[in-house]
Amino acid sequence: MFETLQQTAFVQDIIILAKPALFNLYFALASIPMGFPFAVLLAIGKASPNRLFSLVSRGYIYAFRGSPLFIQFFMCYSIMLALNQSVWKPLGINHIMLHPLFLGPFVLVLNTSAYAAEIFYGALKTVPKGEVEAAQAYGMSRWNVFRIVTWPNMLRLAWPAYTNEMVFLFHATTLVYFTLPVINEQKDLMNKASELFERDYNVFLHFSVAALYFLLISIFIFWLAGLMQKHLNRHITGEKVRLFFKPRYLR
Amino acid sequence: MTKINIILMSNTPILKMQNIHKRFGDLEVLRGISLEAYSGDVISMIGSSGSGKSTFLRCINLLEMPDQGEIILDGDPIQFKTDKNDTRSAANTGQVQNLRSRITMVFQQFNLWSHLTILENVTEAPIRVQKLSRPEANDLGMAFLEKVGIADKADTYPGFMSGGQQQRAAIARALAMQPEAILFDEPTSALDPELVEEVLVVIRRLAEEGTTMIVVTHEMSFARDVSNKALFLHQGKIEEEGDPAELFSSPKSSRLQQFLSSAMA
Repeated sequence: MFETLQQTAFVQDIIILAKPALFNLYFALASIPMGFPFAVLLAIGKASPNRLFSLVSRGYIYAFRGSPLFIQFFMCYSIMLALNQSVWKPLGINHIMLHPLFLGPFVLVLNTSAYAAEIFYGALKTVPKGEVEAAQAYGMSRWNVFRIVTWPNMLRLAWPAYTNEMVFLFHATTLVYFTLPVINEQKDLMNKASELFERDYNVFLHFSVAALYFLLISIFIFWLAGLMQKHLNRHITGEKVRLFFKPRYLR
Repeated sequence: MTKINIILMSNTPILKMQNIHKRFGDLEVLRGISLEAYSGDVISMIGSSGSGKSTFLRCINLLEMPDQGEIILDGDPIQFKTDKNDTRSAANTGQVQNLRSRITMVFQQFNLWSHLTILENVTEAPIRVQKLSRPEANDLGMAFLEKVGIADKADTYPGFMSGGQQQRAAIARALAMQPEAILFDEPTSALDPELVEEVLVVIRRLAEEGTTMIVVTHEMSFARDVSNKALFLHQGKIEEEGDPAELFSSPKSSRLQQFLSSAMA
Protein backbone atom coordinates (compact mmCIF):
# COMPACT_ATOMS: atom_id res chain seq x y z
CA MET A 1 0.00 0.00 0.00
CA PHE A 2 2.72 2.42 1.10
CA GLU A 3 4.80 1.38 -1.85
CA THR A 4 2.10 1.94 -4.41
CA LEU A 5 1.48 5.36 -2.90
CA GLN A 6 5.14 6.20 -3.27
CA GLN A 7 5.03 4.95 -6.76
CA THR A 8 2.09 7.06 -7.73
CA ALA A 9 3.60 10.11 -6.07
CA PHE A 10 6.74 9.46 -8.05
CA VAL A 11 4.88 9.02 -11.29
CA GLN A 12 2.80 12.08 -10.54
CA ASP A 13 5.90 14.15 -9.94
CA ILE A 14 7.20 13.06 -13.29
CA ILE A 15 4.00 14.21 -14.94
CA ILE A 16 3.84 17.48 -13.03
CA LEU A 17 7.48 18.34 -13.71
CA ALA A 18 7.36 17.59 -17.43
CA LYS A 19 6.16 21.04 -18.42
CA PRO A 20 8.58 22.91 -16.10
CA ALA A 21 11.41 20.90 -17.65
CA LEU A 22 10.54 22.50 -20.96
CA PHE A 23 11.37 25.90 -19.47
CA ASN A 24 14.88 24.82 -18.55
CA LEU A 25 15.25 23.26 -21.97
CA TYR A 26 14.03 26.47 -23.56
CA PHE A 27 16.54 28.61 -21.65
CA ALA A 28 19.39 26.36 -22.74
CA LEU A 29 18.26 26.03 -26.33
CA ALA A 30 17.72 29.76 -26.63
CA SER A 31 21.13 30.68 -25.26
CA ILE A 32 23.55 28.04 -26.60
CA PRO A 33 23.12 28.82 -30.32
CA MET A 34 23.49 32.55 -29.59
CA GLY A 35 26.35 32.15 -27.15
CA PHE A 36 28.41 29.99 -29.50
CA PRO A 37 29.07 32.49 -32.30
CA PHE A 38 29.44 35.31 -29.77
CA ALA A 39 32.04 33.26 -27.89
CA VAL A 40 33.96 32.53 -31.11
CA LEU A 41 34.03 36.25 -31.93
CA LEU A 42 35.23 37.09 -28.42
CA ALA A 43 37.96 34.45 -28.63
CA ILE A 44 39.14 35.81 -31.96
CA GLY A 45 38.99 39.30 -30.46
CA LYS A 46 41.10 38.28 -27.51
CA ALA A 47 43.68 36.64 -29.78
CA SER A 48 43.65 39.62 -32.13
CA PRO A 49 46.87 41.60 -32.59
CA ASN A 50 44.67 44.71 -32.54
CA ARG A 51 45.09 46.20 -29.05
CA LEU A 52 41.57 47.61 -28.83
CA PHE A 53 39.76 44.42 -29.89
CA SER A 54 41.92 42.39 -27.58
CA LEU A 55 41.41 44.71 -24.61
CA VAL A 56 37.63 44.90 -25.04
CA SER A 57 37.33 41.11 -25.37
CA ARG A 58 39.63 40.49 -22.42
CA GLY A 59 37.67 42.95 -20.30
CA TYR A 60 34.37 41.37 -21.21
CA ILE A 61 35.57 37.84 -20.57
CA TYR A 62 37.12 38.88 -17.27
CA ALA A 63 33.96 40.63 -16.07
CA PHE A 64 31.59 37.79 -16.86
CA ARG A 65 33.90 35.00 -15.83
CA GLY A 66 34.96 36.77 -12.70
CA SER A 67 31.52 37.47 -11.24
CA PRO A 68 28.79 35.07 -10.14
CA LEU A 69 26.00 34.33 -12.61
CA PHE A 70 23.56 34.92 -9.76
CA ILE A 71 24.68 38.52 -9.40
CA GLN A 72 24.72 39.00 -13.17
CA PHE A 73 21.03 38.12 -13.23
CA PHE A 74 20.24 40.63 -10.47
CA MET A 75 22.35 43.38 -12.03
CA CYS A 76 20.87 42.87 -15.45
CA TYR A 77 17.33 42.82 -14.11
CA SER A 78 17.81 46.03 -12.11
CA ILE A 79 19.40 47.78 -15.09
CA MET A 80 16.47 46.71 -17.26
CA LEU A 81 14.07 47.99 -14.60
CA ALA A 82 15.89 51.30 -14.35
CA LEU A 83 15.64 51.79 -18.09
CA ASN A 84 11.98 50.83 -18.12
CA GLN A 85 10.36 54.28 -17.82
CA SER A 86 12.82 56.17 -19.95
CA VAL A 87 13.58 53.70 -22.73
CA TRP A 88 11.57 50.50 -22.94
CA LYS A 89 8.14 52.02 -22.34
CA PRO A 90 8.46 54.80 -24.93
CA LEU A 91 9.67 52.22 -27.41
CA GLY A 92 6.78 49.98 -26.44
CA ILE A 93 8.98 46.95 -25.80
CA ASN A 94 8.83 46.96 -21.99
CA HIS A 95 6.94 43.66 -21.89
CA ILE A 96 9.61 41.92 -23.88
CA MET A 97 12.64 43.47 -22.20
CA LEU A 98 11.51 42.63 -18.66
CA HIS A 99 10.12 39.19 -19.44
CA PRO A 100 12.12 36.29 -17.97
CA LEU A 101 11.74 34.37 -21.20
CA PHE A 102 13.80 37.11 -22.83
CA LEU A 103 15.99 38.25 -19.94
CA GLY A 104 16.88 34.71 -18.89
CA PRO A 105 18.47 33.67 -22.17
CA PHE A 106 19.91 37.18 -22.52
CA VAL A 107 21.97 36.92 -19.34
CA LEU A 108 22.83 33.29 -20.01
CA VAL A 109 24.19 34.25 -23.44
CA LEU A 110 26.30 37.01 -21.90
CA ASN A 111 27.63 34.58 -19.33
CA THR A 112 28.24 31.47 -21.42
CA SER A 113 29.90 33.43 -24.19
CA ALA A 114 32.56 34.63 -21.73
CA TYR A 115 33.28 31.11 -20.47
CA ALA A 116 33.16 29.55 -23.93
CA ALA A 117 35.31 32.36 -25.32
CA GLU A 118 38.06 31.41 -22.90
CA ILE A 119 37.77 27.79 -24.05
CA PHE A 120 37.95 28.77 -27.72
CA TYR A 121 40.78 31.18 -27.03
CA GLY A 122 42.80 28.40 -25.47
CA ALA A 123 42.07 26.17 -28.45
CA LEU A 124 42.94 28.95 -30.85
CA LYS A 125 46.36 29.27 -29.23
CA THR A 126 47.08 25.57 -29.71
CA VAL A 127 46.08 25.26 -33.36
CA PRO A 128 49.16 23.67 -35.02
CA LYS A 129 51.28 26.59 -36.25
CA GLY A 130 52.74 24.59 -39.10
CA GLU A 131 49.33 23.92 -40.60
CA VAL A 132 48.45 27.61 -40.48
CA GLU A 133 51.78 28.46 -42.01
CA ALA A 134 51.27 25.95 -44.82
CA ALA A 135 47.93 27.55 -45.68
CA GLN A 136 49.58 30.98 -45.74
CA ALA A 137 52.45 29.66 -47.82
CA TYR A 138 50.02 28.56 -50.52
CA GLY A 139 48.63 32.06 -50.95
CA MET A 140 45.37 31.59 -49.06
CA SER A 141 43.58 34.70 -47.86
CA ARG A 142 43.20 35.27 -44.13
CA TRP A 143 39.58 34.19 -44.32
CA ASN A 144 40.50 30.94 -46.11
CA VAL A 145 43.29 30.21 -43.65
CA PHE A 146 40.76 30.60 -40.86
CA ARG A 147 38.06 28.54 -42.52
CA ILE A 148 40.24 25.73 -43.77
CA VAL A 149 42.78 25.34 -40.99
CA THR A 150 42.13 27.41 -37.87
CA TRP A 151 38.40 26.80 -37.47
CA PRO A 152 38.30 22.98 -37.71
CA ASN A 153 41.34 22.63 -35.46
CA MET A 154 39.97 25.08 -32.93
CA LEU A 155 36.61 23.33 -32.82
CA ARG A 156 38.22 19.94 -32.35
CA LEU A 157 40.53 21.13 -29.58
CA ALA A 158 37.79 23.05 -27.77
CA TRP A 159 35.03 20.48 -28.07
CA PRO A 160 35.42 18.41 -24.86
CA ALA A 161 35.64 21.55 -22.73
CA TYR A 162 32.81 23.18 -24.65
CA THR A 163 30.62 20.13 -24.00
CA ASN A 164 31.18 20.76 -20.31
CA GLU A 165 30.23 24.38 -20.73
CA MET A 166 26.98 23.45 -22.49
CA VAL A 167 25.99 21.12 -19.66
CA PHE A 168 26.96 23.69 -17.04
CA LEU A 169 24.87 26.24 -18.84
CA PHE A 170 21.93 23.89 -18.92
CA HIS A 171 22.21 23.37 -15.18
CA ALA A 172 22.62 27.12 -14.65
CA THR A 173 19.16 27.66 -16.13
CA THR A 174 17.87 26.87 -12.62
CA LEU A 175 19.08 30.32 -11.55
CA VAL A 176 16.78 32.18 -13.93
CA TYR A 177 13.68 32.03 -11.72
CA PHE A 178 15.69 32.41 -8.54
CA THR A 179 16.36 35.97 -9.57
CA LEU A 180 13.67 36.95 -12.06
CA PRO A 181 9.94 37.17 -11.34
CA VAL A 182 7.80 34.15 -12.09
CA ILE A 183 4.96 35.11 -14.38
CA ASN A 184 1.71 33.14 -14.01
CA GLU A 185 2.39 29.42 -14.15
CA GLN A 186 5.66 29.83 -16.06
CA LYS A 187 7.80 27.83 -13.67
CA ASP A 188 10.95 25.84 -14.25
CA LEU A 189 12.00 22.60 -12.60
CA MET A 190 13.43 24.23 -9.48
CA ASN A 191 10.38 26.46 -8.95
CA LYS A 192 7.96 23.65 -9.34
CA ALA A 193 9.97 21.22 -7.23
CA SER A 194 10.18 23.84 -4.42
CA GLU A 195 6.48 24.40 -4.69
CA LEU A 196 5.81 20.68 -4.37
CA PHE A 197 8.26 20.52 -1.47
CA GLU A 198 6.45 23.26 0.41
CA ARG A 199 3.27 21.17 0.30
CA ASP A 200 4.57 18.01 1.94
CA TYR A 201 8.23 18.65 2.87
CA ASN A 202 9.29 15.58 0.91
CA VAL A 203 12.66 16.92 -0.18
CA PHE A 204 13.95 13.66 -1.46
CA LEU A 205 11.14 12.81 -3.81
CA HIS A 206 10.51 16.12 -5.52
CA PHE A 207 14.08 17.20 -6.00
CA SER A 208 15.10 13.72 -7.10
CA VAL A 209 12.54 13.81 -9.87
CA ALA A 210 13.75 17.28 -10.84
CA ALA A 211 17.31 15.96 -10.89
CA LEU A 212 16.13 13.04 -13.00
CA TYR A 213 14.98 15.45 -15.67
CA PHE A 214 18.34 17.17 -15.60
CA LEU A 215 20.10 13.84 -15.89
CA LEU A 216 17.90 12.84 -18.79
CA ILE A 217 18.44 16.00 -20.78
CA SER A 218 22.14 16.04 -19.92
CA ILE A 219 22.61 12.54 -21.29
CA PHE A 220 21.06 13.73 -24.53
CA ILE A 221 23.53 16.63 -24.66
CA PHE A 222 26.41 14.25 -23.94
CA TRP A 223 25.26 11.93 -26.69
CA LEU A 224 24.96 14.67 -29.29
CA ALA A 225 28.27 16.23 -28.26
CA GLY A 226 29.85 12.78 -28.38
CA LEU A 227 28.75 12.28 -31.97
CA MET A 228 30.24 15.63 -32.82
CA GLN A 229 33.43 14.74 -30.98
CA LYS A 230 33.74 11.57 -33.02
CA HIS A 231 33.18 13.51 -36.21
CA LEU A 232 35.81 16.11 -35.31
CA ASN A 233 38.34 13.39 -34.52
CA ARG A 234 37.68 11.18 -37.51
CA HIS A 235 41.12 11.89 -38.95
CA ILE A 236 42.74 10.64 -35.75
CA THR A 237 40.58 7.60 -35.03
CA GLY A 238 39.78 6.76 -38.63
CA GLU A 239 36.19 6.25 -37.55
CA LYS A 240 33.47 7.56 -39.82
CA VAL A 241 30.42 9.12 -38.19
CA ARG A 242 27.05 9.72 -39.77
CA LEU A 243 25.70 13.06 -38.68
CA PHE A 244 22.05 13.81 -39.28
CA PHE A 245 22.85 17.38 -39.99
CA LYS A 246 26.12 18.42 -41.55
CA PRO A 247 26.50 21.95 -42.78
CA ARG A 248 29.45 22.87 -45.00
CA TYR A 249 31.23 24.82 -42.28
CA LEU A 250 31.72 21.73 -40.15
CA ARG A 251 34.26 20.15 -42.51
CA MET B 1 69.80 18.71 -68.53
CA THR B 2 69.16 21.57 -66.14
CA LYS B 3 71.96 23.61 -67.66
CA ILE B 4 70.45 23.30 -71.11
CA ASN B 5 67.20 24.60 -69.69
CA ILE B 6 68.86 27.75 -68.44
CA ILE B 7 70.16 28.55 -71.87
CA LEU B 8 66.79 27.98 -73.47
CA MET B 9 64.91 30.23 -71.06
CA SER B 10 64.82 34.00 -71.19
CA ASN B 11 67.38 35.79 -69.12
CA THR B 12 65.10 37.46 -66.57
CA PRO B 13 65.37 35.47 -63.36
CA ILE B 14 62.11 34.01 -62.06
CA LEU B 15 63.16 35.13 -58.66
CA LYS B 16 65.70 37.64 -57.52
CA MET B 17 66.49 38.24 -53.87
CA GLN B 18 68.62 41.29 -53.21
CA ASN B 19 70.59 42.04 -50.10
CA ILE B 20 68.21 40.36 -47.64
CA HIS B 21 68.66 41.29 -43.99
CA LYS B 22 66.75 39.84 -41.07
CA ARG B 23 67.14 40.15 -37.35
CA PHE B 24 65.29 38.55 -34.47
CA GLY B 25 65.73 40.96 -31.58
CA ASP B 26 69.46 41.39 -31.11
CA LEU B 27 70.33 38.41 -33.25
CA GLU B 28 71.18 39.28 -36.83
CA VAL B 29 70.25 36.12 -38.70
CA LEU B 30 70.67 37.31 -42.28
CA ARG B 31 73.31 39.85 -43.17
CA GLY B 32 72.80 40.67 -46.80
CA ILE B 33 72.07 37.62 -48.92
CA SER B 34 71.32 37.80 -52.62
CA LEU B 35 70.21 35.11 -54.98
CA GLU B 36 68.97 34.75 -58.52
CA ALA B 37 66.97 31.78 -59.69
CA TYR B 38 66.37 31.15 -63.38
CA SER B 39 63.83 28.77 -64.78
CA GLY B 40 65.08 25.21 -64.41
CA ASP B 41 67.60 26.06 -61.71
CA VAL B 42 68.06 23.69 -58.83
CA ILE B 43 69.77 25.67 -56.11
CA SER B 44 70.83 23.96 -52.95
CA MET B 45 71.63 25.82 -49.78
CA ILE B 46 73.86 24.20 -47.22
CA GLY B 47 75.31 25.35 -43.97
CA SER B 48 75.36 24.44 -40.32
CA SER B 49 72.27 25.01 -38.21
CA GLY B 50 71.87 28.64 -37.27
CA SER B 51 73.53 29.80 -40.47
CA GLY B 52 70.24 31.36 -41.60
CA LYS B 53 69.45 29.12 -44.56
CA SER B 54 65.92 28.22 -43.44
CA THR B 55 65.20 31.82 -42.48
CA PHE B 56 66.37 32.95 -45.89
CA LEU B 57 64.12 30.40 -47.58
CA ARG B 58 61.18 31.63 -45.50
CA CYS B 59 61.94 35.20 -46.52
CA ILE B 60 61.43 34.23 -50.14
CA ASN B 61 57.69 33.66 -49.70
CA LEU B 62 57.49 36.17 -46.86
CA LEU B 63 56.65 33.72 -44.09
CA GLU B 64 59.42 35.77 -42.53
CA MET B 65 59.46 39.49 -43.29
CA PRO B 66 62.94 40.66 -44.26
CA ASP B 67 64.01 43.88 -42.54
CA GLN B 68 65.85 45.03 -45.61
CA GLY B 69 66.25 43.94 -49.20
CA GLU B 70 64.21 43.40 -52.31
CA ILE B 71 62.28 40.44 -53.66
CA ILE B 72 61.69 40.56 -57.38
CA LEU B 73 59.39 37.99 -58.89
CA ASP B 74 59.66 37.76 -62.65
CA GLY B 75 60.82 41.38 -62.89
CA ASP B 76 58.08 42.58 -60.57
CA PRO B 77 59.35 43.86 -57.19
CA ILE B 78 57.29 43.13 -54.07
CA GLN B 79 56.03 46.34 -52.46
CA PHE B 80 56.81 46.98 -48.84
CA LYS B 81 55.79 49.65 -46.38
CA THR B 82 57.35 50.69 -43.12
CA ASP B 83 55.28 51.83 -40.15
CA LYS B 84 56.25 54.36 -37.49
CA ASN B 85 57.97 51.69 -35.39
CA ASP B 86 60.19 50.90 -38.36
CA THR B 87 58.51 47.53 -38.79
CA ARG B 88 58.27 46.41 -42.34
CA SER B 89 55.22 44.78 -43.85
CA ALA B 90 53.90 43.99 -47.29
CA ALA B 91 52.11 46.92 -48.86
CA ASN B 92 49.84 44.76 -50.96
CA THR B 93 48.49 41.49 -49.56
CA GLY B 94 47.18 40.51 -52.98
CA GLN B 95 50.70 40.70 -54.36
CA VAL B 96 52.02 38.53 -51.54
CA GLN B 97 49.29 35.95 -52.08
CA ASN B 98 50.15 35.95 -55.76
CA LEU B 99 53.83 35.40 -54.96
CA ARG B 100 52.97 32.55 -52.61
CA SER B 101 50.72 30.84 -55.12
CA ARG B 102 53.52 30.97 -57.70
CA ILE B 103 56.34 29.85 -55.42
CA THR B 104 55.12 27.04 -53.18
CA MET B 105 56.83 25.38 -50.27
CA VAL B 106 57.56 21.97 -48.83
CA PHE B 107 58.21 21.97 -45.09
CA GLN B 108 60.49 19.96 -42.87
CA GLN B 109 57.55 18.81 -40.74
CA PHE B 110 55.30 18.26 -43.81
CA ASN B 111 52.59 20.50 -42.31
CA LEU B 112 49.82 18.66 -44.08
CA TRP B 113 46.34 19.69 -42.99
CA SER B 114 45.66 16.83 -40.66
CA HIS B 115 41.85 16.90 -40.79
CA LEU B 116 41.74 16.70 -44.58
CA THR B 117 42.34 13.63 -46.70
CA ILE B 118 45.45 13.48 -48.85
CA LEU B 119 43.50 14.37 -51.98
CA GLU B 120 41.81 17.27 -50.17
CA ASN B 121 45.22 18.45 -49.00
CA VAL B 122 46.39 18.56 -52.60
CA THR B 123 43.26 20.17 -54.05
CA GLU B 124 42.43 22.73 -51.36
CA ALA B 125 44.82 25.48 -52.46
CA PRO B 126 44.07 25.14 -56.21
CA ILE B 127 40.35 25.38 -55.37
CA ARG B 128 40.61 28.30 -52.94
CA VAL B 129 43.42 30.27 -54.46
CA GLN B 130 43.32 29.46 -58.17
CA LYS B 131 39.54 29.04 -58.20
CA LEU B 132 39.61 25.67 -59.90
CA SER B 133 36.37 23.68 -59.82
CA ARG B 134 36.41 20.66 -57.54
CA PRO B 135 36.30 18.06 -60.36
CA GLU B 136 39.12 19.84 -62.18
CA ALA B 137 41.17 20.02 -59.00
CA ASN B 138 40.49 16.37 -58.23
CA ASP B 139 41.77 15.29 -61.65
CA LEU B 140 44.82 17.46 -61.23
CA GLY B 141 45.37 16.26 -57.68
CA MET B 142 45.14 12.59 -58.63
CA ALA B 143 47.64 13.15 -61.44
CA PHE B 144 50.16 14.59 -59.00
CA LEU B 145 49.51 11.92 -56.38
CA GLU B 146 50.15 9.39 -59.13
CA LYS B 147 53.38 11.17 -59.92
CA VAL B 148 54.70 10.93 -56.38
CA GLY B 149 53.45 7.35 -56.14
CA ILE B 150 50.70 7.59 -53.52
CA ALA B 151 47.53 7.71 -55.62
CA ASP B 152 46.18 4.77 -53.61
CA LYS B 153 46.32 6.94 -50.46
CA ALA B 154 44.06 9.67 -51.86
CA ASP B 155 41.31 9.10 -49.27
CA THR B 156 43.61 8.49 -46.32
CA TYR B 157 44.22 11.02 -43.58
CA PRO B 158 47.84 12.13 -43.11
CA GLY B 159 47.98 10.62 -39.62
CA PHE B 160 47.71 7.14 -41.08
CA MET B 161 50.71 7.45 -43.36
CA SER B 162 54.46 7.12 -42.92
CA GLY B 163 56.61 10.23 -42.86
CA GLY B 164 57.92 9.49 -46.34
CA GLN B 165 54.42 9.17 -47.72
CA GLN B 166 53.36 12.35 -45.96
CA GLN B 167 56.28 14.27 -47.39
CA ARG B 168 55.50 12.95 -50.88
CA ALA B 169 51.91 14.12 -50.38
CA ALA B 170 53.27 17.51 -49.38
CA ILE B 171 55.31 17.58 -52.58
CA ALA B 172 52.19 16.72 -54.59
CA ARG B 173 50.45 19.58 -52.80
CA ALA B 174 53.25 21.95 -53.82
CA LEU B 175 53.13 20.69 -57.42
CA ALA B 176 49.35 20.98 -57.71
CA MET B 177 49.64 24.76 -57.69
CA GLN B 178 51.74 24.39 -60.85
CA PRO B 179 54.21 26.87 -59.42
CA GLU B 180 57.12 28.57 -61.10
CA ALA B 181 59.42 27.40 -58.34
CA ILE B 182 59.24 25.20 -55.25
CA LEU B 183 61.02 25.88 -51.98
CA PHE B 184 62.15 22.84 -49.99
CA ASP B 185 62.93 23.46 -46.33
CA GLU B 186 65.01 20.47 -45.23
CA PRO B 187 62.51 18.04 -46.75
CA THR B 188 64.15 14.89 -45.41
CA SER B 189 65.39 16.04 -42.02
CA ALA B 190 62.34 14.83 -40.10
CA LEU B 191 62.31 11.42 -41.74
CA ASP B 192 63.57 8.07 -40.54
CA PRO B 193 66.76 7.19 -42.41
CA GLU B 194 65.11 4.41 -44.39
CA LEU B 195 62.40 6.78 -45.65
CA VAL B 196 64.75 9.50 -46.88
CA GLU B 197 65.48 7.86 -50.21
CA GLU B 198 61.85 7.60 -51.37
CA VAL B 199 61.47 11.36 -50.96
CA LEU B 200 64.81 12.14 -52.59
CA VAL B 201 63.85 9.99 -55.58
CA VAL B 202 60.79 12.15 -56.13
CA ILE B 203 62.72 15.42 -55.80
CA ARG B 204 65.44 14.11 -58.11
CA ARG B 205 62.89 13.30 -60.76
CA LEU B 206 61.39 16.79 -60.49
CA ALA B 207 64.85 18.23 -60.99
CA GLU B 208 65.33 16.13 -64.12
CA GLU B 209 62.04 17.41 -65.47
CA GLY B 210 63.31 20.96 -65.13
CA THR B 211 61.31 22.07 -62.08
CA THR B 212 62.84 25.18 -60.57
CA MET B 213 63.74 24.45 -56.98
CA ILE B 214 65.52 26.00 -54.06
CA VAL B 215 66.44 23.33 -51.56
CA VAL B 216 67.76 23.74 -48.05
CA THR B 217 69.30 20.41 -47.25
CA HIS B 218 71.69 18.40 -45.16
CA GLU B 219 71.92 15.68 -47.80
CA MET B 220 75.31 16.59 -49.26
CA SER B 221 75.40 13.96 -51.98
CA PHE B 222 71.93 15.02 -53.06
CA ALA B 223 73.01 18.66 -53.23
CA ARG B 224 76.11 17.73 -55.23
CA ASP B 225 74.37 15.44 -57.73
CA VAL B 226 71.10 17.23 -58.32
CA SER B 227 71.67 20.96 -58.11
CA ASN B 228 73.30 23.20 -60.66
CA LYS B 229 74.13 25.88 -58.12
CA ALA B 230 75.09 25.59 -54.50
CA LEU B 231 75.29 28.18 -51.75
CA PHE B 232 77.13 27.75 -48.51
CA LEU B 233 75.79 30.00 -45.78
CA HIS B 234 77.69 30.91 -42.68
CA GLN B 235 76.48 33.31 -39.98
CA GLY B 236 73.92 34.95 -42.19
CA LYS B 237 76.13 35.47 -45.20
CA ILE B 238 76.98 33.56 -48.33
CA GLU B 239 80.45 32.26 -47.61
CA GLU B 240 80.86 30.50 -50.91
CA GLU B 241 78.73 29.81 -53.95
CA GLY B 242 79.10 28.23 -57.33
CA ASP B 243 78.97 25.03 -59.28
CA PRO B 244 78.26 22.18 -56.86
CA ALA B 245 80.82 19.85 -58.39
CA GLU B 246 83.56 22.39 -57.74
CA LEU B 247 82.18 23.58 -54.45
CA PHE B 248 82.16 20.11 -53.00
CA SER B 249 85.42 18.85 -54.52
CA SER B 250 87.55 21.90 -53.95
CA PRO B 251 86.06 24.22 -51.35
CA LYS B 252 87.96 27.48 -51.14
CA SER B 253 87.00 28.84 -47.74
CA SER B 254 88.23 27.12 -44.64
CA ARG B 255 84.71 27.26 -43.16
CA LEU B 256 83.30 25.22 -46.02
CA GLN B 257 86.21 22.80 -45.84
CA GLN B 258 85.50 22.34 -42.17
CA PHE B 259 81.76 22.03 -42.72
CA LEU B 260 82.14 19.49 -45.50
CA SER B 261 84.61 17.36 -43.64
CA SER B 262 82.23 17.09 -40.69
CA ALA B 263 79.10 16.72 -42.83
CA MET B 264 80.48 14.09 -45.18
CA ALA B 265 82.04 12.04 -42.39
